[in-house]
Order: sequence, then C-alpha cells, then structure tokens
Amino acid sequence: MRFAILVLLLMAGCASAPPSPSPSASSSSTTRQPAPGSPPPEGITVKTESIAVASILQSARADAASGRLANAAASIERALRIEPRNPRLWNELARVRLQQRDWAQAEATAARSNSFAGSDSELRASNADLIAQARRAQGK
Amino acid sequence: MRSNGFVRLLLVVFLLAGLALAAWALFLDFRVRHEFEGRRFALPARIYARPLELHEGLKLKPAELEQELKALGYKDGGQGESGWYRKTGGGLEVAVRPFVFWDGSQPAKRIRVSFADARISGLRDAADAQVPLARLDPLPIGGIYPAGNEDRLLVRLSEVPPHLVRELIATEDRRYYSHFGFDLRGMARAALSSVTGHVQGGSTLTQQLVKNFFLTPERSITRKVNELIMAVLLELHYDKAEILETYLNEIYLGQDRDRAIHGVGLAAQYFFGKPVQDLTVAESALLVGMIRGPSYYDPHRNPQRALERRNLVLKLAGEVGALTPEQVKQAQGAKLGVQPRAASGTTPYPAFVQLVQRQLRRDYKDEDLRSEGLRVFTTLDPRVQAAAERALVRRIEQYDRDKRFGAPGLEGAVIVAGTQTGEVQALVGGRDPRLRGFNRALDAARPIGSLLKPAIYLTALSDPSHYTLVTPLDDSPFVWKAAGAPDWKPENYDRKSHGMVPLRTALAQSYNLSTARLGTTLGVEKVLQTAQKLGMQKMPPPYASVLLGAVDLSPLEVAQMYETIASGGFRTPLRAIREVTTAEGKPLNHYSLSVEQAFPAEPIHLLSVAMQGVVSEGTAQALKSWIPPEIAAAGKTGTTDSQRDAWFAGFTGDRLAVVWLGYDDNREAHLSGGAAAVPVWGELMAALGPEPLALSAPENIETATIDPQTGLLGKGCPGAVDLPFIKGSAPKDSAPCAGGVGGAVEAIGRAVEDAVKPLKGWLDRLFGR
Repeated sequence: MRFAILVLLLMAGCASAPPSPSPSASSSSTTRQPAPGSPPPEGITVKTESIAVASILQSARADAASGRLANAAASIERALRIEPRNPRLWNELARVRLQQRDWAQAEATAARSNSFAGSDSELRASNADLIAQARRAQGK
Repeated sequence: MRSNGFVRLLLVVFLLAGLALAAWALFLDFRVRHEFEGRRFALPARIYARPLELHEGLKLKPAELEQELKALGYKDGGQGESGWYRKTGGGLEVAVRPFVFWDGSQPAKRIRVSFADARISGLRDAADAQVPLARLDPLPIGGIYPAGNEDRLLVRLSEVPPHLVRELIATEDRRYYSHFGFDLRGMARAALSSVTGHVQGGSTLTQQLVKNFFLTPERSITRKVNELIMAVLLELHYDKAEILETYLNEIYLGQDRDRAIHGVGLAAQYFFGKPVQDLTVAESALLVGMIRGPSYYDPHRNPQRALERRNLVLKLAGEVGALTPEQVKQAQGAKLGVQPRAASGTTPYPAFVQLVQRQLRRDYKDEDLRSEGLRVFTTLDPRVQAAAERALVRRIEQYDRDKRFGAPGLEGAVIVAGTQTGEVQALVGGRDPRLRGFNRALDAARPIGSLLKPAIYLTALSDPSHYTLVTPLDDSPFVWKAAGAPDWKPENYDRKSHGMVPLRTALAQSYNLSTARLGTTLGVEKVLQTAQKLGMQKMPPPYASVLLGAVDLSPLEVAQMYETIASGGFRTPLRAIREVTTAEGKPLNHYSLSVEQAFPAEPIHLLSVAMQGVVSEGTAQALKSWIPPEIAAAGKTGTTDSQRDAWFAGFTGDRLAVVWLGYDDNREAHLSGGAAAVPVWGELMAALGPEPLALSAPENIETATIDPQTGLLGKGCPGAVDLPFIKGSAPKDSAPCAGGVGGAVEAIGRAVEDAVKPLKGWLDRLFGR
C-alpha cells in the first residue's frame, strides 16, 4: 500500500517535471552578464574612516571612557549616519551597548558589524568576543 | 424697638456684604497671584528637522546648500556674527548660528565650504584650518501646541526696542506709568466716545492683560468689576515692568492658518523674519497698531488699512513726544516691509509631525508636550521631503489628467527611510502635503498585493536544501482547496501560465501561479510567520489568498517590513525622533538605534539579489528611465485586484522608499505598481542622487555561473549569469553548453528529485520514519 502511494507520488512528480529544455547552442552573443548583487571586489570594508567620522569617534571614545555612555552612543549613531556601512562603527556601538549592560543590543549590534566586516578577521574576532560576553551575561 | 431691630438688621446685612466683598477680593487676589506666578506661558513643544552635517565627501551641490541656508533664514551676503552666507568662487562662506543641541551647545562659527563634482571637497574655518564636521542649526518644522494653538517666542522686556514700548504706551495707555491699574479719564473718554460712535478703548494695558489672562470674553457689569479689581490687585503685587513684559508676550497679533501668533517675539519673526531686537520704528508701529484688530489690520490681507493704522500709531507717538518728528516722518514713508506669508500653520509637514507626535506620546504626557516648551529633534530631511512631495504631487496630477476619474482625485503616500538606521527622512500623507487630515502613510490600510511575495521567497530561500534562486517553479494553473475556506483559484496578471520558471524569474515577473503554489507548499502560516519576523504586526487568518497580498497594511507597516530586508535581515524599528530636551537644552531622552537579527544573512542576501532582478529585468524595469542600472536598486511592485492599489517598495544603497497610490473610496484606479508607483519612486530617488546598492556577500555565500536555459552550471554559455548560492546548494552539474554530459537529461532528473524531496520529507513524517 505504502509502496503504491510512493509510486503514484513519484509519477506525479514526473508529470510536473519541466519540459526538456532545449539547449540553444546557436546563440551568437556570449556576453556574460555579472548578476547584480554579486559580491563587488571593493568598497565594502572600510579600513579608514573619513576625518569627520574619526573626529566623532574620538569624542565618543572620550565619553565612553568617562562613563557618559548615552552621549557616546549618540555620537556613534551620528557617525553611523555618515557611514552606515562602516563595520568599525557598529563594533564601537556594540562595545558601548555592552558597557550600558544592554546585552541583547550588544549582541545584535556586534552581529551587525560582522555583516559588514568582510574579511577583516581582527574585527570579526572582536565582534565574536563581544557576542560571547553579551551571551554569557544573558545566561545563554 | 422696631426701628432698632431694623437698624441692626441693616448693620448685619452691611457687615455680611462687606465680608462677602472682602472674601471675593481675597479670592480674586489669590487667583491673580496664583495664576500670574504659577502659570507660566504654555509653550509648545518645538520640533526640529535633522541638522545638516557638513563634511568632506558629502554629496551636496552649492545650490542645495544655499537652499538649505535660505530655508533656515540665513541672509545672502549678510553681516554680523552669524546667520548669513556669502558666495565665494565656487564655494560658500557660512556664518553658522549658535545652537544648543542635545549633546551640548555649539557656538557661532565661520566656515568656508568648497565643492567639487557635486560633493563637498573642503571645509575650513576662519583661520583656514581643516574642519572635520560642521553642523548647521536645525530647521524648526512645527510644534505641539497648547489649546487654541497659541504660539509664542518669549522675550524679555530688555530685548524689546524702547521705541516699540513708547509707541505702545502712546497708543494704548498713555498714563500707564502713573495709574493704579485703571484710568478714570480714559474710561470717561471711552464712555463718551461710545456715545459719539468714535470707538476708543478705555482699558489700561493692565486691564487688557487681566482680560486676556483670567477672564472669558463675555460683556457684563460683573466682569467689568472683576476686571477692575484684578487690575488693581495686579498692580499692587507686581511692578510696571513685570506687567508690561507679560503683556508683550501675551497679546494676540495674528493668525497663521491654524496657529495663533502671540507676543511681539513671535510676531517679529512671523511678519518681518527677524528677532524683536531688530525691529525698526515703522515695523514696531505696525505691530502696535495691530493689537486693536489683528485680523482687521492684517498687513497680508489688508495692506492699505494696515499702513494707515501704522501711520496713525506713528502720529500719536509723535504727538506725545515718544518719537521725534524726523522719526515719525521717516517711518511714515517706509514700506510695510512684511515678509510674504509663509502660511505654514502649525507645521508645513503635518503628516510627519503626526508620526512624531505618536512616537512622543509613548513617553510624554500630552499636557507636557503642549506646555513645557520641549525641544524635539527629529529625523526629517527637508531635502528628501521636498523631493518626495514633488514626485508624488506631480505624478498624481498627471494621472488625474490622464484618467479623468473626477473628484475626489487620486491619492497617494510616500515614506522614505535610511536603510541602515531606520530613520524616517520623509513622509507624505496625501496629495496635498500641507493639509492636516487623513494621513494615508500611517492610517490607510490597503491590500498590499505582491508586496507580500518577498516573504514567500524568503521563507523558501531559508531552506537551501530545497530552494535556490534557480529552482524551477511550476507556474501552471491550480485550485487550492482547504476545509472551511472557499476554493481559491489564483491567476496571473497577464492571465497566462508560464510553465516551469526559475525561482528568481517568478519573483522578478511577479508570477502569481508559481508564487502561490510555492506559498501553499511552504505553508501559509509559515509565510505569515516570516512576514511577522520582517515586521508585520498583524496576524491575518491564514487563508491562501493572503499569499497574493489579501492583507491590509499601511505604507508605514510595509516600510517596516522592507527595512528589515534592506538592512540585511536586522529588524530596525523605524524612528522619527532622535532626541528630546527641555526648553533650556537639558537632555531628556535619546531614542537610540536598535537592531535585532531577525534572519540569517544568507537568505536575505539571496532575496535582495532576486529583488534586484525585479528592477533589472522584471516588473520595475521602468525605473531605468530615472536611475542608472549601476545603482542596482532592489524592490517589489504591487498591484491589487482591478488595479485599486499601486505600490512600489524598494531600496538603494542609502534609502528605502515605499510609494502607494489609490483612491480613498477604493475605486478602481487602473494603475499598476510598475506603471504608476515606480515613476514616483524613480523621480524621488533620482532627485537625491542615490548610492548604489553594493550587497556584500556573507561568508557562507558562493557564486556560480549559471546557464539561464537549464539552470545548471554554465560557464561559457550564452547569457550566463553569476548568481549567489548558499554554500553547497549550487547546481553540481553543467549545462550542455558548458560541456555537461547529457545535461538535458540530468536537468530533468534533478528537477524530479527536487520535486520529490519535499514529498519524501512529508512521507517520512506521515509514516513516522
């Protein structure tokens, strides 16, 4: 009985298989279009910040060091408006969130940093560390 | 005996009456003191747009900066410490005003901005040192007003020019400095003049203030007596300067749509565009003249009448020696000098301010918002807002002309947000952006049609063992039967079936049959869970028709869902507010950027690439008329039954925008998402110079070259495309054109295998294997 059902279903599967595609080897144009969204070779990982972002970061770090965490976070957000895809800024924000004991945000923000980090292994390690700390604090 | 008793009774009555009067006076005294001191002026919460942050590399043309400065009231070629700019060979010199921001006060400063290739190429201060970042003061965009929409800018008496005070006293209350709150001679003259018909006010400034401050506008003897007593009490407790200052801040001076202009501080700003300190003799005489009848002497509507009234004030002031004859003569010859009416009312951006108000009400009492003068720093970008308004209004007018459906006309809504920060940069709630009314961006619940499809494809692509971008989907007709629901028979937009189509093509072309079949295979509830994870708040009943968008959402809710896709799977709540401070600038609240990973990076990456296909080769191809292909925008069109709703939701590298068009009464609009909403979106984005959407592939993604005919590996095949796959999910076999052996046969084999796989899993579960 089971076998019969299986056979039927298999046949049904065959019936809805695509018609044999005819390979059109006769085509003259052989231009290979790179698909939109295929990973671009550059411009993703930002190694150095613009001077605008660097100056904000400097004051954010000073704020964080002296415990003005809300100010530090607000400053980093200000920098993120200028360079929203800069993984270092997200990493920096995750660090402040950890100091603010906002564990869930620290974890998610570090993951956000990773999503822009590309092959920057140092930054990835830093994010992994932040995520681990945040998860420990949440008892995960 | 009898008369004795009568006298006693009379005495008691007098005594009681005296006591009652004393008690009444005491009560009034309490009110006067309590309200005059306790009641500060209710100040509206002030709402500001985002401040423009200038820095090297910022995409900004000189004309755009100039426009921003003009909107802020900076004068071209002006003088003084701040508030002006000057054109310098290809650049601008700006004297930036001081401003108290959330993170502290920023002094006035001089900066020189140079431009190259439509970007800022240099930023230097007066000493020619490099400036990393310069923040302009933010544009005030409205307020949350006290009852009667009273608006005012408080001024100190010391800030008010002496000639204004002298003109006021000469016109309204000549014996102000010598009377005790009332002026018998003035009253007698007023009584006389009311007989002769030549109207003159007999009230002193103190009485006028009492009337505005404490009393209702009825006319009765009791009221007049109360007014008199309270005026005297006021004079007893406070000095002339205090009363005068309060009067100058209280008086009503005009109406700006729904906003009431009170006080000389705001009136100076509203009518002359300058601080009260800078009012000339003629300008202050106009304001003084308007006190008697702000609408009768409105200089915008009745300029001639206002001019005559102003010159009368000048004449009166000259008569009592408050002005010199030369001052009178010169001022009487001056033009009215009022600014063209901006007519912004309580705000030029009512739709956006409504969103701000809703977000504020979660944290603040309405009463505090209307009285404490809080400062609210928002995310609105006036440039983006202007582009959104222009694109929507222009297109709606054009569609109205083309379709001639008559009144009420077509409506629409637009939301623009930053893709990574979730900041709402623009919000248009209808075809008249200035109109405060039904806010379609927030409150129109409309079927979203194909805008739900990305949720279906995201559900599928989250399972790489069964679905990739090239998985063949069956686009043949089918009927969906479910217990307790009517049979559902979806149809394609073109009423055709397209056979077997690759997954990415089914999304790009928005095929209904293949998508609906995919959705039912995955499970409607599972798809709805994905939609909720994206940010949809509702949970509609899991009928199959939901798969093709039979769910009503507002443009804002749609924007929230697409924001999650645009930000790489991180749910980022859309925000309209950055910070709130007290009137003095003390920080109260910072609304921080928060993120939550809702989806792994890989399926979101695949979905985004597929949504780029919607623009490059699918239903949103028309976009290429506005933005070049290298921007590689991603999006999805939506069109509902009988074309009642036209949608487009999409994003570039820096902005996400959602556009909706339709009729409020749900008439058939005969507009499709691709033909009607896409042009609005394209025009809006093109005006802003979008950043390309450079999707960075997550680690676990590999690229394979695919033959579009077979969906197999196709290096060297005609029209082959590079597509991303989650590692291990790419096809293993090569197409014949890429040297594959029996590729055609294998393709069938794989397709069969793919089709059977889910069934096998199902059977396994069914038979408990």
